[in-house]
Amino acid sequence: MTKTNNAAENDSRIKLKTLPHSQDLKWPMLWWIGMEKLYRTLPWKKTAWTCAAFPIEMMWIYDIFPDHPENMATVAAARKQSQRLIEHAESMGFSRDLCSYCKTNIGAYDTKIKKTLGGISKPDIVVCTNAICDTHWKWFQIMADKMNVPFFMFDIPKWVSGTDEKTLEGNIDYVVDQFYDLIAFIEKHTGKKMNEKRLYKVLDRSMEMSNLWREIFEHRKAVPSPYSGAETSAAFFPLVVLPGIQVGINFFKKILADIKNLTARGEGTMPKGKEKYRVMWEGIPFWYRMRFMYDLAQYGVVIAFEPYTYSFAPLKKKCVTLEETLRHVAKLIMDTPYAYNLERRIENFEKWIDEYKLDGVILHENMSCRPSSAGMVDLAEAIMRDKGIPVLILQCDMNDPRAYSEGQIKTRVEGFIELMEANKK
Amino acid sequence: MPKIAYFDTSHEMPLEIIMAAGFTPYKILGDVHQPNDPADKYLSNFFCGAAKSWLTEALAHSKEWAGIIFAQGCNNTNRHYDIWKVHVETPFLHWFGAPLLDNAAAKKYYRVELQRLISHLENHFGIKMTPEKIKEAIGQSNEIKKKLQRLSALRAEKDIPNRDYLAAVIKSLTSPVHEVSDWLDSEITAWKAKPAFPSGTKRFLLTGSDITYVEWMDTLDDCGIRVVRDDLSVGERFFATLISDKNDPLEALIEYYMNIPRPATRPTIRKRLDYLYKALGETKVDGVLSQNVKFCEPYAYDSVPVNNELKAKGYKVIHLERDFTPASDQQLANRLMAFVEMMEVA
Repeated sequence: MTKTNNAAENDSRIKLKTLPHSQDLKWPMLWWIGMEKLYRTLPWKKTAWTCAAFPIEMMWIYDIFPDHPENMATVAAARKQSQRLIEHAESMGFSRDLCSYCKTNIGAYDTKIKKTLGGISKPDIVVCTNAICDTHWKWFQIMADKMNVPFFMFDIPKWVSGTDEKTLEGNIDYVVDQFYDLIAFIEKHTGKKMNEKRLYKVLDRSMEMSNLWREIFEHRKAVPSPYSGAETSAAFFPLVVLPGIQVGINFFKKILADIKNLTARGEGTMPKGKEKYRVMWEGIPFWYRMRFMYDLAQYGVVIAFEPYTYSFAPLKKKCVTLEETLRHVAKLIMDTPYAYNLERRIENFEKWIDEYKLDGVILHENMSCRPSSAGMVDLAEAIMRDKGIPVLILQCDMNDPRAYSEGQIKTRVEGFIELMEANKK
Repeated sequence: MPKIAYFDTSHEMPLEIIMAAGFTPYKILGDVHQPNDPADKYLSNFFCGAAKSWLTEALAHSKEWAGIIFAQGCNNTNRHYDIWKVHVETPFLHWFGAPLLDNAAAKKYYRVELQRLISHLENHFGIKMTPEKIKEAIGQSNEIKKKLQRLSALRAEKDIPNRDYLAAVIKSLTSPVHEVSDWLDSEITAWKAKPAFPSGTKRFLLTGSDITYVEWMDTLDDCGIRVVRDDLSVGERFFATLISDKNDPLEALIEYYMNIPRPATRPTIRKRLDYLYKALGETKVDGVLSQNVKFCEPYAYDSVPVNNELKAKGYKVIHLERDFTPASDQQLANRLMAFVEMMEVA
């Protein structure tokens, strides 16, 4: 997996076919960048920092631009800036063991690097949840204090293994109550009132976007796989910051059409006959080393399914009252696959292994995401026991390149591939 | 009296409910002198040593407990619950979803969670938990807290070794109430008879992650440091405030647990600082020792703004990132001694 300049070797490399419209991702991205400029120019519009598992739709409904520190941290990593930003945050006293997204963001804000390199500006408000991790609220509160802007936090109860329906209903009640607090918070800081007509319009579009992504995933069940994790890791961007926005829907429609064309011809993202192993990737990608996904292709490995991007497209339903809507959204926030408890994780992983006809699973034991990494040993053991396929636990980090050891990872990946090969015989 | 053990990264477990159910609440603290090999099988090398030690203790001793209750605490408490549910044998396992917030919605939810805990205990153990029993437990709990307050106050006046204080709090968190109550009375008498605070010894406030073996306290004494105040969960957080005697005992518990000195696992940092300033205002100290168990994220996040603010106000602060075990204590001692020497020079 080492980088080579040997032209002959490069010619023999297996190249993943990208979808014809994959380049159209630039339109939602440009729209998002343009909107930020517009929202920061017009005095009646506001900006916020938001995080994963926060109901971003609420921001668009209230004319608030949802800036996204995690998203910008991935940009910094892709532009090879994250390490210096992380080290800058560490020089401020933040421990090496803390979340690399958080430290990238702290470094980016403190050094005022350019947007194109992952920079981020001061917002009018900071809003977050702890649905994915407590890091979100610790990080966002520290930054809200530092920037001296109002801060709102959703406290999302934990859906632990064995939670019964009655308990779940109590948890939903708590989140719904906090929705009314959020509405009061937003209205206080924007001076605007809830427009229910706009709420339903945005939620309808959000549902449409989710459904399109889920349909894309249905087609990913095809053999050979038409769309790999190498592409979805970038393409899911509209789900992160543009739920309920038409430009993202338009992009997904084109992607879906491309995938349908590909599968109708019986083709996949790998060159014909080269797809040998279909793999699930669990966890956040190595944003500073996205080439890893393409390197896997050299072994005939395609990432046919990943819970991470799937998490951003839950099954949404159309609701007719505000209360029903809030209860539904509250449950969705708690029900994200990325944050499934161990029992639900095992149950769903085993279902996906069957549905996507997977030969193996790679679990990214992410040093920056302990909630995601806890229970991976049990998850791996259950999958190997119940489904009889190999599981590779790769300890690394999503945004800190210092954790990535080229040689060690290559050795482990090759061992994993040997196991998958042996398992096929 | 049988024990119900609880997993609590700070002081979120409503112990009075366990007491009212007829059990001794036993805070799982682990044993740093035991290797964590059993827990290492299930938790990777970048999880905090406390959680590993607690799991190791549970794997060895869970059969001695009538049950285990988890109180929502740090980032990974729910994940540990899932792992324990698979590997730790216990006839009774409960998740108590202590809310992070302290607003009206959180209070309402706290009551729901209290009632769910009570129902689970009643149904499983065939008991009835009346308001009177809970009030009685609150009374007992307050008695312990009052006695610990008296002991704690003596730290700044008398020559009380650091280990004696930590041992008293640990005993209070792990032993039957009646046993602790009598023992604390005798300790108060004994502590009062001790010589005056030793001159030349530095007075410190200790904050951050909990370190729960007494040898660490000896090390601090060896460095010329006497902890006279703290905001630890195995410390003042447990007894700093009392539970009110409201007619509705659940309301009293809700009010109490939402107003204890804030740990780093609960917002806001400002509220945590409020208690630190209160303690620093009440008791003159020479320095602040901030200790952070490696991989303990909440305190690692807090340590930067909290320590910066304390330093800006003129307090002398030393921050130690450390293991949960004594492995590197002597290296830390070197740093602490140098810090104390610098204070003396200054």
